[in-house]
Amino acid sequence: MSMDKNKELSTTQTPPPKKTGLLKQLFGNRNELDIYTEEQVQSPWRTVLRTFRSNKVSMSALIVFLIIVLIVFIGPLIRPVDLGYAEVTQVNLGPSREYMAVPDELLKDLNKMENGRSFGVGINNSGKVFIWGDTRITNRVNIRNVPDDLPPLVDIAVGDDHVLGLTKDGSLVAWGNDRQRQSRIPWELEDVEVVQIDANYQTSGILDAQGNTYLFGNVKNMDYVEFHEWQGKIKKIALSVDALVGLTNEGKIVYFGRQTNSYSRVPEGTFTDIAAASKAFAAVRDDGEIVVWGNLSYRGEGRVPEHESPAVQVEGGRYHFTARLEDGSVIAWGENTYKQSDVPAALNGKNVTYLSSNYYQNYAITDNNELVSWGLKGYLLGSDDLGRDIFIRLLNGGRMTITIGAVAVLIATFIGIVIGGLSGYFGGTLDLVLQRFSEVVASLPFLPFAMILNVIIGNTLSPSQRVYLMMVVLGLLSWTGLQRLVRAQVFSVREQEFVVAAKAMGIREGNIVFRHIIPNVISVIIVSTTLSFASSMLTESSLSFLGFGVQPPIPTWGNMLFGSNNSVVIQTFWWRWVFTSIILSITVISVNLIGDGLRDAIDPKSQER
Amino acid sequence: MLKYVFKRILYMIFVFSVMSILLFILYNGIQGDPARAEIEPMKMKLEPAQYEQLYRETRARMGLDDPLVTRYTRWLGKTIRLDFGQSIRYQRPVIDVVKPPLQFTIKINIFAVIIGLAITIPLGIFTAVKKNSIFDKSVQVFTIIGYSIPVFITALLFMYFFAVRWRLLPLNGMETPNFKGTAAELRADQIRHLILPLIVMTVTSLASITRYVRAAMMEALSMDYIKTARAKGLKEKAVIFSHAWRNALLPVITLIIGWIMSIFSGAFIIESMFNLNGMGKLYIDSLYAKDFNVVLAVQLFYVLIALIGNLLVDLSYGVVDPRVRVNE
Repeated sequence: MSMDKNKELSTTQTPPPKKTGLLKQLFGNRNELDIYTEEQVQSPWRTVLRTFRSNKVSMSALIVFLIIVLIVFIGPLIRPVDLGYAEVTQVNLGPSREYMAVPDELLKDLNKMENGRSFGVGINNSGKVFIWGDTRITNRVNIRNVPDDLPPLVDIAVGDDHVLGLTKDGSLVAWGNDRQRQSRIPWELEDVEVVQIDANYQTSGILDAQGNTYLFGNVKNMDYVEFHEWQGKIKKIALSVDALVGLTNEGKIVYFGRQTNSYSRVPEGTFTDIAAASKAFAAVRDDGEIVVWGNLSYRGEGRVPEHESPAVQVEGGRYHFTARLEDGSVIAWGENTYKQSDVPAALNGKNVTYLSSNYYQNYAITDNNELVSWGLKGYLLGSDDLGRDIFIRLLNGGRMTITIGAVAVLIATFIGIVIGGLSGYFGGTLDLVLQRFSEVVASLPFLPFAMILNVIIGNTLSPSQRVYLMMVVLGLLSWTGLQRLVRAQVFSVREQEFVVAAKAMGIREGNIVFRHIIPNVISVIIVSTTLSFASSMLTESSLSFLGFGVQPPIPTWGNMLFGSNNSVVIQTFWWRWVFTSIILSITVISVNLIGDGLRDAIDPKSQER
Repeated sequence: MLKYVFKRILYMIFVFSVMSILLFILYNGIQGDPARAEIEPMKMKLEPAQYEQLYRETRARMGLDDPLVTRYTRWLGKTIRLDFGQSIRYQRPVIDVVKPPLQFTIKINIFAVIIGLAITIPLGIFTAVKKNSIFDKSVQVFTIIGYSIPVFITALLFMYFFAVRWRLLPLNGMETPNFKGTAAELRADQIRHLILPLIVMTVTSLASITRYVRAAMMEALSMDYIKTARAKGLKEKAVIFSHAWRNALLPVITLIIGWIMSIFSGAFIIESMFNLNGMGKLYIDSLYAKDFNVVLAVQLFYVLIALIGNLLVDLSYGVVDPRVRVNE
C-alpha cells in the first residue's frame, strides 16, 4: 500500500534533477534531502536504489563483486587456459616472480649463468656462485644449500633440480636433489679431469679431457652406451631428457645410444655447436645453418625461423631453442606458452655477446653489458600438481563458476516465476497439482540427487557437455523456494484494484499474471535470485570439489580444490588451496552481502528489526 | 488433530511413492543386464545355444521381461521388506553394508546437533536482545562470512590449523592405524579423531541457525505483548524467556528440525574429507565404485529422512500453532 502512495505522489510532484559527483552517485548523499522531502519525491524504485547506495557494506560488496566479475571475464580473453597442458618439471611450484632476478653483482663480472626449473645459478670470473629464484626443491632440499667449503668454480651446469660445478683443477662438485643419484658423483669420476659438464632432468653428463663421456643419475631412462666407438673423440656433449649426443673433434655429430630412433638420425656434415632441448637437439653447421632433429613436437622445436646471418651459437630450453647469429642478433623458436620464444624488442639492433637458454628462461647480454631476459618469470599464485599456472586457472575457473551459478539461477528463476505465478493466480486444482509437484522436488535431497544425476547422465557426456548438465541440474533442483515466494506474493496482490482493472479491460489472463502482477512482486524475486546465486555457486563448487560436478581439466573454483585435503597439500603446497579458497569465499560473501543489502533496501521494515 | 496427522501421513506416502517411481526409473536406466552378469562365468563352459537358453531362463527367473509396472511392484515389495539385494563391492547384503555407517552418522549428528543448539540458541537470543550492539554487529559479520564460506574451505582451514600446524588433533580417519593399547585407550583415540569433524560440523551450521534464531527473536520482541509485559513491570528475564522466546520458538522449532534433517545429507563433504565411515562417504564411494544397489538404498534413506523431516515440521506446526490445525 505504501508503495502505491509513493507512486501517486511521485507523479504529481516532479523531482528536480540534482547533479552530484560520481562518488556521491555511488554511495548516496543523505544529507542533501531531509527525510520528508525524500519520501515525497522518490518513486519506490528510486528509494530502493537510494537506500541500497547509502548502505556502505552492500555497496562495497557490489563493487568487489563487479571487479571480480570483470577480472574473471576479461582475464581469460587475455590468458586463455590450455586444457591439455601438463608439465612435469613445473609441478607444485610456489608463488614467485623471481625466476629471472639475476643479482647485479654477478653481471659485473659474468662467466656463466643457467636456469633450472624455477631458479637460476651463475658464476662470475672469480668463481663465486650466485643463486636466485625459487630454490626450494623439497622440504629438505634447497639449491641455496651449497656444499660447505665450495671451491671457486669455472663452469656450472643446472639440471631440473640439481647443480653441477666444475673446479679449476677439473674436479666435480654437485648439489641439489639426489633422488635419482643425479648429484652423487660416481667414484670412477674422482680421478678424471673433467672439461665439460651438462645436466638435464634427473641426469648429469660429463666430458673428460680425453674426450670420453660419462653419464649418471636416472640413466635407466636413457638409451646410452658407455663403451661407444666414438668414446675418446668427443669435444662437446649435449644432454636431452633421454639421450646424449656428442660433437667429435672433426665436427661430426654422434649419438651415444644403441637404438635406431629419431635421435639416431643425426644430421650429416661438419658442425660447430650443439644444444639440447628436452626431446630434441639442434646443431650449428659450419655454413651457419641450424639443423634440428629428435622428437620434434607440435610445440615447434623444428620450425627454425629464416635468418640471413649465419648462426654461431645455439641454446636449448625445455621445448624451445635460441640461437645467436654472427651479426649479434638472436632468434628463438619452439614452445611459446610463457613467451620464451618471443625475442624481446629490446634486443633489436643490439649486439648480443652472451646467450643462455634453459627451461623457460632466456638471458642475453649485449656488448654494453646490458642484461635482457625473457620467458617465465614465475607463477604469481604458484603452480598446481600438473604444473599448470594457478592464476590462469583461477581466472578461467572463476568464469566457469560464475557462469554456471548465473545460468542455474536463471533457469531456477524462470521455472519459479512461471509455476509460482500460475499457481498463485489461478489457484484451485492447478495450484494443488503444482504445489504437490513442487513439494516432491523440494523434498528431493539436493546433494545426493545432483550427484546421482551427474553420475548417471554425465557418464555419457564430454566434459564440456557436463558443464551444461551441471547448470540444468542445479536449475531444475532449486526453483522451489522462489516458487513458494512468488506464489505467496501473487496471492497477496491478485485481488488488488489494478488487477481487477486489468481484468475489466479484458486483458488475457496470462498477460495479467506476467505483465501486471509479476512486475509488482519483482523486488522479492530479485532478492531471492541474488541469494540463490550465491548458494548456486556454493553448491557447484561443493559438487565439483567432491568430484561430481564439472570434471577436470575444465577448471572451476570447486574442482581446483579437489584433492587438497591431505596434509602435504594443506601444509607444503598451501598455494594450491589458499588462493582459490579466498577468492571463492570473497565472491560468495559479497553476493550474499549484496542480497542482504537489497532486501534491506526493498523491505525497510527488516532494517528496523 | 488426528485428522491432520492422518492427512499428512497420507501425503507423505504419496510423495514417497512418486519418489520411488522416479528412483526406480533412474535405477533401471543405469543398470546393465543383471542376468548377463550372473551367468557370465558359464559362458566358457556351455555351447552358444545352451548359453542362450540359460540366458533366457535366467531373464525369466529374474523377471526382467515383465512389464515395468510388475517389476516396479516387485521391487517396491522387496524394498519395504528392507531387501535391497547384494552389494557388488562388498559381496554382502546391502542392508548389512549400510548398518554401521548409518549408526555412525546418526551418532555424530546427534552430537553435532546438541553442541550446535547449545551455542546457537543462547547466541541468537543474546544478539537479538542486544541488537545493534558491537557484539551483535560482530556476530552478524561472522554469520554472513560463516554461511558464505563453503564447508570444505572451513574444513581445510581447521585441518590446517589444528591438525597440520599445531598438531593437536589427527587429520582424518576413524582411529590411528594399528593402534595398540587397551580398550579404553582405543576409545579415547577414536574420540580424538571425532573432535575435529565435530568442530567443523558445528561451526559450519552455527551461522545460519544463529541468524534465524536472532530474526525470530527480534520478530517476537517487536510485538505489542512484549511492551505490555514490560509495562506491567515484569523482570527483563521473564519478558525475554517466557514471553518472547516462547513465541520465537515456533519458527525456530521448524527450522531446527529442517536443519537436523539437512545435516544428514550435508555431512557428505565432512565425512569424505575426514575419511569418516558414515552414510555420506558410503554414498560417494559407492557412486565411484558404481555399486548402485548401495547407492539406491542410501538414496532411499535420504528421501525418507527428508520426508520424515517434512512431516515433523508440519506436525510441530500443528502442535505449537493452533491456527494451523483449524485451517487445514
